[in-house]
Amino acid sequence: MSGVKKIADAVVHRIGQVLIGKEEPIRLALACLFARGHLLIEDLPGMGKTTLARALAGVLGLEYTRIQFTSDLLPADIVGVSVYDRNNGGFEFHPGPLFSQVVLADEINRTTPKTQSALLEAMAEGQVSVEGETRALPSPFFVIATQNPVSQSGTFPLPESQLDRFLMRISLGYPDPAAERELLAGVDPRVRLSRMKACMDQKLLCQIQQKVTEVQASDSVVDYLQELVQQTRSMPDIEHGISPRGSMALLQCARACALMDGRRYVIPEDIQTCFIPVCNHRLRGTASEQEVVSLLRQVLDTVDIL
Amino acid sequence: MTQPQWQTPRAAIIWMQLSVAASLALHAGHLPAWLIAAALTVMAWQICVYRGVIAHPSTWHKVLLTSACLGGVLVTYDSLIGLEPMVAILISGFALKLLEIHRRRDALLLIYLAYFVVVVQCLFTQGITTAALMVASVCVITTALIAVYQQGERAHGWLALRKSTLMLAQAVPLMLVLFIIIPRLGPLWVVPQQASAASIGVSDSMTPGDFTDLSATPKVAFRVSFDGDMPAQASLYWRGLVLSKFDGRTWSQLGPWGYRTGNLLQWYGDRAEPWDSLAERRGQPLEYTVTLEPSNGSWLFALATPRPASPGIALTRDFRLYTRSPVVTEKQYRAQSWLDYKIEPERLPPWRRSIELRLPEGFNPKTREVAARWREETPDPEALVQRLLDYYRRDFVYTLKPPLLGKHTVDEFLWQTRRGFCEFFAGSFVFFMRAAGVPARVVVGYQGGERHPEGDYMLVHQYDAHAWAEVWLAGRGWVRVDPTAAVAPARIESSFADYFSAEEGFLDGSPLALERFRHIGWINSLRLQLDELEYAWAKWVLGYDSNQMTLLSRILGRVDPMRMGMLLLFAGSLALLPVGWMLLRSRQRPVRDDIDRCFLEFCRRMARLGLGRRIGEGPRDYAARIANQKPELAPEIWALVNLYERQRYATAGENNLALRQALRRIPRR
Repeated sequence: MSGVKKIADAVVHRIGQVLIGKEEPIRLALACLFARGHLLIEDLPGMGKTTLARALAGVLGLEYTRIQFTSDLLPADIVGVSVYDRNNGGFEFHPGPLFSQVVLADEINRTTPKTQSALLEAMAEGQVSVEGETRALPSPFFVIATQNPVSQSGTFPLPESQLDRFLMRISLGYPDPAAERELLAGVDPRVRLSRMKACMDQKLLCQIQQKVTEVQASDSVVDYLQELVQQTRSMPDIEHGISPRGSMALLQCARACALMDGRRYVIPEDIQTCFIPVCNHRLRGTASEQEVVSLLRQVLDTVDIL
Repeated sequence: MTQPQWQTPRAAIIWMQLSVAASLALHAGHLPAWLIAAALTVMAWQICVYRGVIAHPSTWHKVLLTSACLGGVLVTYDSLIGLEPMVAILISGFALKLLEIHRRRDALLLIYLAYFVVVVQCLFTQGITTAALMVASVCVITTALIAVYQQGERAHGWLALRKSTLMLAQAVPLMLVLFIIIPRLGPLWVVPQQASAASIGVSDSMTPGDFTDLSATPKVAFRVSFDGDMPAQASLYWRGLVLSKFDGRTWSQLGPWGYRTGNLLQWYGDRAEPWDSLAERRGQPLEYTVTLEPSNGSWLFALATPRPASPGIALTRDFRLYTRSPVVTEKQYRAQSWLDYKIEPERLPPWRRSIELRLPEGFNPKTREVAARWREETPDPEALVQRLLDYYRRDFVYTLKPPLLGKHTVDEFLWQTRRGFCEFFAGSFVFFMRAAGVPARVVVGYQGGERHPEGDYMLVHQYDAHAWAEVWLAGRGWVRVDPTAAVAPARIESSFADYFSAEEGFLDGSPLALERFRHIGWINSLRLQLDELEYAWAKWVLGYDSNQMTLLSRILGRVDPMRMGMLLLFAGSLALLPVGWMLLRSRQRPVRDDIDRCFLEFCRRMARLGLGRRIGEGPRDYAARIANQKPELAPEIWALVNLYERQRYATAGENNLALRQALRRIPRR
């Protein structure tokens, strides 16, 4: 287990060189991938979303494509099309950029719902249906999506069903002054990014993902998690609380966190770490996003761990 | 009907029926039998209507039933005005309402009325048994109220009962607080008295045969607690009324016109009237509290010669106690009595003398003749009294079954039958004395009483009712003479019940009275224990208002609205505290096991150092925070928290000795 901790620390350290002073979001992002979940990064333009996504793909040593979502992007543009091959005298499928181990869906909310939903089957099932034929996507398959806050102009809010496919939604926020100064004084992050080397491979990733499922969650931890989730179902200004899929996701993330910390068992702190990133995009109601986060904090402060 | 008709829940029907039955049962004691029968019929009718056997009664039916009930009340009581007819009308209307429950509003009306009917019962009796029955009825009625609001799946009868019991139980603390604090206001209007207000117990007139009737009832007349020791049985003459007027058959009171000057009543706390000095009181007074059962009379009972010691009680001109309004509910009062006394010893004014010697013409010629002769032979009044008592002692029989007497009651008794009860002896004695020219009068009240072995009080029963005589002797004033004591000294020295327990006629009116079985040890002790309970109820609950001010001023120091309000608030919140605690308690998860207990103890110790764990703070975060603030304890803290973490979250069922040991290393303060 300490092996996983060492690897995780190394990965976090390496990405931290590119994305300075953002260790916590990096750890969460990594936990999300270890837990076989898709990641949504939401922040203002220029905060380093794309950098984080690219760095993750690069460090994990996986095959990687990037799709820039725009308002005129069509489903066929990401899934692929069949083109007539004059030599064979038949149609041949040309896979789109979705057929990749890590897909960076940049600015996913700039595109129309039609294209957004094309991602849905891919994310949920790990396969796509094109022209009546179901095609499996490579494994492992990650979607790291970035999006601008919905209040920005020219955005289409993601439908709830789509949001639910993302295991976590994290945001980066402004760097603290020291980190920003370091960023300004040092080498350009784009240069560092291009120099980045992988420190994992696909086999190791699969092993880690398998180990995550073996992490023990004792009764008291499960009770605590259930109580937290129960509380979200009776919150003011929230129409629906966390679904059972959400609570399973929370437990999975907590396991990944525990593993990254070198433990075989989940402790309440793991759950607390993942609670807000896992839950904040799954709650919809009259409350704004900031309000949702503060409501979730309240829940953490009122439910006792014993 | 435009509105959809409301379907009464089945459970609600049952509980409403039970409510009506319970309210009726409470009033069964004074309702005419036909009314109870009618109410039961109506109840059966409603069930049939509910089951669809019969249609709803038509308007004509209802009009007919209502007028029949009104007519019945009119026939039974001769009037529609008065307490009992009014209550009968209320109850008949209440029962008839069962027939027209179409909407929830109707059901609610019936239920609210049931509460009122239950409370109305307080106008009749207030004993502890009644109170218990009333509480049970209120519980049933509340259940009906809950059942009316239950719908569909949840409409289950027992669930409603459980809920109402719980609700009433929760109301108990608040009820106690209100009982203790709320001042007892006098009635805002006068409640009409019971029409059948014939006085219970000793009445204000005496005819031969009255007291034998009383001997058949085992009811308690009053109970007395003495502040000091109880006096001897033979001196317990509870004076109630003085009867000076005789019409040949019945002795009755003189009436206020008998006295010419001054006030007839001297109220407690008022200045002493001039006639107060006519009584010489010597020695230390006995002080005692009397709890009188309802008698419907305004005379009170006290040992001679008394002085009132509670407000609202007056001393009369003939040295008895008196209260303004008739005693219709239990009444508690205090009195002082000087057993060593002389009343009007110096002289009796001629007008008084003529009153106390007056006899109706044309009755008992033989007695008049013998009395005149004896007076000549024995001029000294005291010797004359002794001679008459000797005559009684010779061959008179004290019995519960005296023969009936004709016109000349005294003549027949003294010279022919010679068998009689106390009123025969007292009446004939006074008649004889008056005929012989010695002023005399009849006194009625109670004699003796039963000492309660544990309760430290005395029970006076209705069968202790007694009549005796007072003669006026120059220099000694009014002297008590009890001719019954001459005939049956044991009656006076022990108790009435002991004297007569074997004789036929005793307690004839109540064949099942526990008093009949006083020779059986356990029944007798059961009877006395029940009575102790009843007395405690009368003294502490019904008679609470007389202790209230003392109690409140002891708690508050000074009784004013501000302090009363504060006490009410304080006590009210105190009463609600358990409820709040229960609510809070149910939210907290119970402590799981010893591992958690160890950790909680650790948190408590740290809290004493000012480093309490926040709610929702995980053990590791907590350890990091406090280890940072208490670096000297950091190793111990981390050792414990790591152990806890591993035992709690990693493995199940490992023994926690190590954890205990780690806890031991954490300082207690």
